[in-house]
Amino acid sequence: MTTADDTRLAMQGTIEALTTGDGSEPVVVNLGPQHPSTHGVFRLKVTLDGEIVQDAEMRIGYLHRSMEKLAEERTYTQNIPFTDRIDYLAAMSNNLAYCLAAEELLGIQVPPRANAIRVMFAELQRVASHAMANGTFINDCGAWHTPLFHMFRDRERVLDMFEMTCGARLTTNYMRIGGVAFDLPDELLPTLEQFLADMPENIANYEALLLENEILHARARGIGVISPEMAINSSLSGPVLRATGVPWDLRKANPYCGYEDYEFDVPVGEQGDCFDRFLVRMAEVKESLRILRQVVDNLPDGPWLADVPLHARPEPGESYARVESPRGELGFYLVSDGGPAPYRFHCRPPSLINLSALKEMSIGGTLADAIVTLGSIDIVVGEIDR
Amino acid sequence: MTSQYDATAAMEIVNADAPGAACVEDGVLFLEPSELAGAVRTLRDSEESDLVFLSNLTAVDRELHFELVYHLQSLDLNHILQVKARVTDREDPALPSLTGVYHGAHLQEREVYDLFGIRFEGHPDLRRMFLWDGFPGYPLRKDFLQMPGQVRAGLPGFPHESVENAWPVPGSVPQRPMHPNDPQPEGELVVAEEGEETS
Repeated sequence: MTTADDTRLAMQGTIEALTTGDGSEPVVVNLGPQHPSTHGVFRLKVTLDGEIVQDAEMRIGYLHRSMEKLAEERTYTQNIPFTDRIDYLAAMSNNLAYCLAAEELLGIQVPPRANAIRVMFAELQRVASHAMANGTFINDCGAWHTPLFHMFRDRERVLDMFEMTCGARLTTNYMRIGGVAFDLPDELLPTLEQFLADMPENIANYEALLLENEILHARARGIGVISPEMAINSSLSGPVLRATGVPWDLRKANPYCGYEDYEFDVPVGEQGDCFDRFLVRMAEVKESLRILRQVVDNLPDGPWLADVPLHARPEPGESYARVESPRGELGFYLVSDGGPAPYRFHCRPPSLINLSALKEMSIGGTLADAIVTLGSIDIVVGEIDR
Repeated sequence: MTSQYDATAAMEIVNADAPGAACVEDGVLFLEPSELAGAVRTLRDSEESDLVFLSNLTAVDRELHFELVYHLQSLDLNHILQVKARVTDREDPALPSLTGVYHGAHLQEREVYDLFGIRFEGHPDLRRMFLWDGFPGYPLRKDFLQMPGQVRAGLPGFPHESVENAWPVPGSVPQRPMHPNDPQPEGELVVAEEGEETS
């Protein structure tokens, strides 16, 4: 990586030369709320000394839809479509987390085939979401849309599979309390087989294109570094936490839907910088394909939806269920007072909480580095604001 | 599999450091609000509990009091503990901030402040997060937008489940616009006759 380091040093030298002027005043720059680098309606207010970030403050709420209040007026089943809209790039994972919380509250056992289908779609969603995350991250690093659209081809095929199964591509509303809404259509498994056959070559192509890329190294190596201790103390989760070397994955630590039956590894990074987050996501896609292979080979027969009364009234109590969504630890905390609707509906949003350390990651770097750091955290504004 | 950490064991750890700061009710650990930050710090630093990761922080409006709910997780020992604290003052609810213990509490406490109006003393940057300054009221409180007829917020029954539970609640004013599927209000339907002027 000598060339990349040289490029980096040359860039640092230029920046230092630009910022050593005396008598300069800090400049406040607004990124957003509508700005390509902020991945949605998210506003970042940075204070700059020359090119160096002194302070970064985020302003959110532009997409606040008050879902937690709305959910208190709707039955447990009626709330499932809301969870699609929380994180619209990982609707399946959000459906799943909410249904797990509701099932815990209602004491429902899910049939084995439903569990296998849930794992299948959660992992397909991870492939699609990581394709989006890595593609836009490389975009933020300066690659003008080429890798993004390479990865979008894979995402497109996943969304086609969603469409043939549940009729929707983005807001799927596929999981139900007690299972999934529909059985797999006949054409899904051949399509999935073809997808699993094609993906290793595609990933090898991306790796050949990107992993040794000098510009990507110069832009992402050593940028937005966070230590494992700080990451844990800041409640970071998902690829952002694992890039620091902490092997914390809820699929291993607290298996749900039968994840304990599948063989897969938890990829971790070493340095906790933006490049490691990218590498962790690339490696996670491979692990997801491994899980998908095992799901397809061991798909059980039987019902795909448990016998759940339409008018389900859980006993008074509470439940907190978590899944490993593509962005991290996604939890739903439900409180029941015995009524038909949740008394309290709370979503633990990984996108919001992963931003806890954004300021610490950005300070001391350049403005362009702050944008790369924000891209590497992989936020979805719908989930931040809810 | 993540196990539930025993609330009684956690209570002993806390009470050894600050007597009377913790108690267990129905298997749930309740902390005294005034001792909250110190007690949670003890739970984080103790080698037995090792609750280094703040998984979730939220509040529930129990109408007579606010209940703060914390989910604390140990990554090495793989157990989770639910901790609660009660705030009884509804006019000016306040309790100590956990930002000194967990950096991850910053944004979650701001969210609770924004939507419940609970102040966290010692929070370095306690401002509204989703809503703008000057927004009237705190939406996730149960008495937000008090409806006429003393109708409680929430869903009283499944639509058309039974006559008693059907929407709207008998004897009350409906709290949302009438929907065509809603039961029609009693009384004669007034139909304008042909030729009559409608004002």
